[in-house]
Amino acid sequence: MSAIDTPAGRKAGRVARLPRWLKGLLGLLAILGPGLISANAGNDAGGILTYASAGSQFGYRTLFLLVLITVALVVVQEMCSRLGAYTGEGLGALIREQFPLRSGAAAMVLLFVANAGLTVSEFAGVGASMELFGVSRYIAVPIALVGIWAVTVLGNYSRAERVFLVMGLVFISYPIAAVLAHPHWGTVVNNLVWPHFLHTNAFLLLAVALIGTTITPYMQFYLTSAVVDKGVTPKTYKGERIDTVNGAILGDVVSIFIIIATAAAIGGSGPLNSVSQAAAALKPVAGAAASQLFAFGLLGASLLAATVVPLSSAYAIAETAGVERSLARKIREAPLFYGLFTVQLVIGAVIALLPGNLVQLVINAQVLNGFITPILLTYILILANRRSVLGAAANGPVFRAVATVCVAVVGVLSALVLAQTVAGWFGA
Amino acid sequence: MSLAALVGSKVKDPNGGTVGELRDVVVSWTAGAPYPRMTGIVVRSGKRDVLIGASWIEVSPPASVTLRSSRAFARAVERHPSDVALAHDVLDQQVVDSKGTQIVRPADVYLAQADGRVEAVGIEVGVGALFRRLGPKRLRRRVRPQQVIDWREIGSFAPTRDDGKPRRGRRSDLAGQTGAGLELEGEAGEVRRLHPSELRAALRAYKTGGEGETK
Repeated sequence: MSAIDTPAGRKAGRVARLPRWLKGLLGLLAILGPGLISANAGNDAGGILTYASAGSQFGYRTLFLLVLITVALVVVQEMCSRLGAYTGEGLGALIREQFPLRSGAAAMVLLFVANAGLTVSEFAGVGASMELFGVSRYIAVPIALVGIWAVTVLGNYSRAERVFLVMGLVFISYPIAAVLAHPHWGTVVNNLVWPHFLHTNAFLLLAVALIGTTITPYMQFYLTSAVVDKGVTPKTYKGERIDTVNGAILGDVVSIFIIIATAAAIGGSGPLNSVSQAAAALKPVAGAAASQLFAFGLLGASLLAATVVPLSSAYAIAETAGVERSLARKIREAPLFYGLFTVQLVIGAVIALLPGNLVQLVINAQVLNGFITPILLTYILILANRRSVLGAAANGPVFRAVATVCVAVVGVLSALVLAQTVAGWFGA
Repeated sequence: MSLAALVGSKVKDPNGGTVGELRDVVVSWTAGAPYPRMTGIVVRSGKRDVLIGASWIEVSPPASVTLRSSRAFARAVERHPSDVALAHDVLDQQVVDSKGTQIVRPADVYLAQADGRVEAVGIEVGVGALFRRLGPKRLRRRVRPQQVIDWREIGSFAPTRDDGKPRRGRRSDLAGQTGAGLELEGEAGEVRRLHPSELRAALRAYKTGGEGETK
């Protein structure tokens, strides 16, 4: 299994003895840019299960929506990497400098809530994948909690991150599975270029979940900081922009194939209720091993995101507060950073252990992200519009109009679903 | 005295009428003087900002600002090279050490009086001060210094680098803002933190000085 499942003390030795093929893959990953990594990190437990649910519940009908979301994702991520390259600061720092303190604090509270929700869904992903291996989530989730904390705080985080990334590469098999499943290509293309939306609450709810899981707030914070860490400057930004746009598109192409593969395999069978249903979509590739392959990939993707998501919000909040925020520091030197990281992990693990349907829990966490996304996107949009922040690189009139429409549409969709949800409480 | 408490407070004329809302405190930072002296305040009066010179105003703790005369001279806000607008340039901006690594972000700036003049004496970098600012106005005036960096440790406003390379953790040259960011003289580890009791002593000295002058 992965390094995570071994006690902290032995972990270092385990990871060091990697097979040669794995080392090769790690090298390959090392040259991938932040844009590509952050976009593919979007295909986490929440992403995979939400896309799979879209395929099983609505067949190919959500494909056009995903094309629109991809456009919005490209626009948003380009702004984030531009902000990082031109200011040399992360989104947290920019929000602190450019907004009144209370608005900044509100943004951080929202980011924390969104990411705590995501952490829940990642631990649910760990539980669900281990259940496919026949291990109870009541054993798997606590071990994962302790393991993630120990590897990140005491161990070699970056090496563990790469192992998880490689495990998550299993989902590259989705495009192959989609082709082998012989979908109706005519219908697929038709759905990609023309909307076939349904006017139902369930469709709208899933649309917001798809937005929440694809344009996740944490990814924007992560991307901006990664661009700064990489040392991208205005002079070298052109190359970075290509990486960012490619990453966003590639990540979403995989998402689209997850929907196609699931739609071809179990399309029209209603909402996804278990991960074994989702695993069925990989049968054309893996046959009887589909379940194991899916579980392996889901475990890697979940462990990666369960580490990265709480780290990213702890980093952003500590950055906004202007205090130490580095894994290189001791716990005593960066109490806020480590405290926030630990609290989110514990919240995530505890909620994922509550009785209930794990798949639905995961999708609800994506809906929560969908509500918060447009609010945080507004901050990003305002920052990228400001000439006092970006100078000549601030959004031009055309880009500004496109970006505003993207954020507004996402906002209106979220507001509609929120209104329906609240109305549902009182109507019931 | 806390800058965060001062910003947003009402500026009164001698008769108790409100002139406007305090937006910023401008200090003049010249070589040789360890602590920058207040030269004026920026007041939002109606819809525009005006600058009122330090000689026209009376500042008293915790956060009240009154004009000495109802005919105080206000002029349009303009910047001089040695001017530092504390709320705009220092509060919430980043302070980097001499290597260019961002280390802190001032949550507050403390002012004190010496020889009848108001001076910026230290910057607060504690998280507690942030929570104080998030709270209601009354709480904002209850200042409890936590982690304060002596203003004397601050070397300069980060100069624009000649080679045009943006430093890490620094607003780049293209960002279009002039002189953003303070720079510490030493490296992160060398910075002397003011002991809270030292600062309290300085603030107390101000308080007695201030009262002596008004009465």
